[in-house]
Amino acid sequence: MRVKSKKVLMGAVVAALVTAGSVGSILAQDKPVIATVVKISGIPWFDRMETGVKAFAEQNPDVVASQSGPATADAAQQLQIVQDLVAKGVKALAVVPMDPAVLEGTLKRAMERGTIVVTHEADNQVNTNVDVEAFNNDAYGTALNERLAECMGKKGKWTTFVGSLGSRTHLQWVGAGEANAKKYPDMQLVDSNNESFDDANGTYEKAKEILRKHPDLKGFQTSAGNDVLGVGRAIDEAGLSGKVCLVGTGLPNPSADLLETGAITAIGFWDPKYAGMAMNSIAKLLVNGKEITDGMDLGVEGYNKVTVTKGAGAGLLVVGNGMVLVDKSTYKERLF
Amino acid sequence: MRKTGGQLIVLVAINCLVLLVGAAISGGSFLSIFNLQSMASQVPEIGLLAIGVMLAMCAGNGGMDLSGIALANLSGVLSAVLVTSVVSGTEHPAAFTFAYIAVAIAIGFLGGLMNGLLIARLNITPILCTLGTQMAFTGLAVVVSDGKAVSVGSPEPLSSIGNGLLFQIPIGFLIFAAAAVLMAGLLKYTPYGFWLMLTGTNPKAALYAGFPKSRVIITTYALSGTLSGLAGVVIAARNVNVKWDYGSSYLLIAILVAVMAGVRPEGGYGRVICVVLAAVALQLLSSVLNFGGLSNFVRDFAWGALLLTFLAVGRYDLVGILFPGNRQRAALMRTPHASKRES
Repeated sequence: MRVKSKKVLMGAVVAALVTAGSVGSILAQDKPVIATVVKISGIPWFDRMETGVKAFAEQNPDVVASQSGPATADAAQQLQIVQDLVAKGVKALAVVPMDPAVLEGTLKRAMERGTIVVTHEADNQVNTNVDVEAFNNDAYGTALNERLAECMGKKGKWTTFVGSLGSRTHLQWVGAGEANAKKYPDMQLVDSNNESFDDANGTYEKAKEILRKHPDLKGFQTSAGNDVLGVGRAIDEAGLSGKVCLVGTGLPNPSADLLETGAITAIGFWDPKYAGMAMNSIAKLLVNGKEITDGMDLGVEGYNKVTVTKGAGAGLLVVGNGMVLVDKSTYKERLF
Repeated sequence: MRKTGGQLIVLVAINCLVLLVGAAISGGSFLSIFNLQSMASQVPEIGLLAIGVMLAMCAGNGGMDLSGIALANLSGVLSAVLVTSVVSGTEHPAAFTFAYIAVAIAIGFLGGLMNGLLIARLNITPILCTLGTQMAFTGLAVVVSDGKAVSVGSPEPLSSIGNGLLFQIPIGFLIFAAAAVLMAGLLKYTPYGFWLMLTGTNPKAALYAGFPKSRVIITTYALSGTLSGLAGVVIAARNVNVKWDYGSSYLLIAILVAVMAGVRPEGGYGRVICVVLAAVALQLLSSVLNFGGLSNFVRDFAWGALLLTFLAVGRYDLVGILFPGNRQRAALMRTPHASKRES
């Protein structure tokens, strides 16, 4: 028994080493690989980003661009993918961190190994060459809240949703929203910063609970891509469409029905397609040894004249102007 | 014994097979030293938790530890909050590291002890008890950290645990290996190990034989908790920051690893070496899929398929079918099992 298992083991190890030696010398990747890693795969937001990554790959045949992401929303799973890609030897990483803090150690090691790191939705990421943001987060949060205040008639109870308390951009948006609402003394924030985990069903349940707890609630400001769907469904089912305002980040296509019924007042977004392209475009510039300068045109819609400042670490912070805010009457112009 | 050998062979074979496939699709870079080190540095977190689950399962009577990753996060977070308030990591890196590790492991031990006491003294079903403590640990971690990530920083000896190499092997992996060897020795050569397995096999007989049943159960969960604390240290060392919701998927993966390793869900049997190999196999598999650029949903599918395969291996004598030479002996060995099942 023991002997047999040892034989199997020895044989396999020898075979593995031989294969490794022979194949390793033949294959050498000549085109630089840019790997995009998203928070979670299989949801509309990051599917849209993938179309951007694919479009970029088509426009730039001299690089290999691809996208991957964990099947569950867990920072540890994303960490594993990033680590494997670094070990695989990709030239550049374009990461949308689930939780920037968790990735710091691994991204640091990646950069020490010469991998170029570009991040998105993480302007506090220390270990990155460039963090690219679609727009100024405070301005976006303020714009969402201003639209909400307008719908609510500048008075009444309102609440906020974030993807998770670790999602820094989400907290920035609702933070800017809260600051904006202070202008209107009749607006009263209740039970703020509910966590949605970007899960429409969970958000739906939570929104129902909040509507039960506060029957006089007038407005929701949401952050993660699926939140408007969950909250919108709760509003719709409660027959409160048009009475309760809902403004949040969302995509036009999934939100179309709820925009039509009036359950969703307005959605704000930046097009993840162009964000994906912008990340890859910056990664390619860095791979080719180019510099990123203020006012530069990345050749991507919404990123034609980017603002470049110093980032949280040694890297740069690149901000585009890709904010879009649409409602029932205008969403069809941006349908994706 | 026959059955256990089969599990071991299949695990070794799967590991080698995945290595070969990885080498083939990556053009050899899968077997580069850097990637082997990278994969080895990823195994300890899940491996330590899986050994904890195995211990709990071995105790029988529905033994299960669902609080593993929650306790690991609590250890990491609470220790970071406590120790940084007393010692500065940048000024006294060595003292900080030492204190951090000691406090984290102590918290893990206490959490596990609590599980054990609740289960043994109050007779709460393990799966319910650890589900409760899991939520309690997570909640406590959120409260002490305000829901934010807590920075541990990279004070020197601690940072090496997460990122350093010793003889070209990641130190985190060596710690994991040492813990595994220690646990294996404990199970094989001490009365505790003997009592644990026999208690798991037949709790009633163990009671009449005068085994210290409560003490065995308390020790088991305390050990599992201590391993969680150690996992918390490894996570902190590797990631620079600790957070309460890290590794929420680990809970089920740790159970998956234990089942793949042939640990009997009814209790009374499990081998540490198999748990280690199963954890390595899962790691290799997910790395291969990442190398191949396949969707992570494929990985979930592959893990599920693997789990079912191992359940089949445990139930039917697949190895005996593959190697007919051993079949007769296998049949002989299986007879008592069969009669037991009928009774």
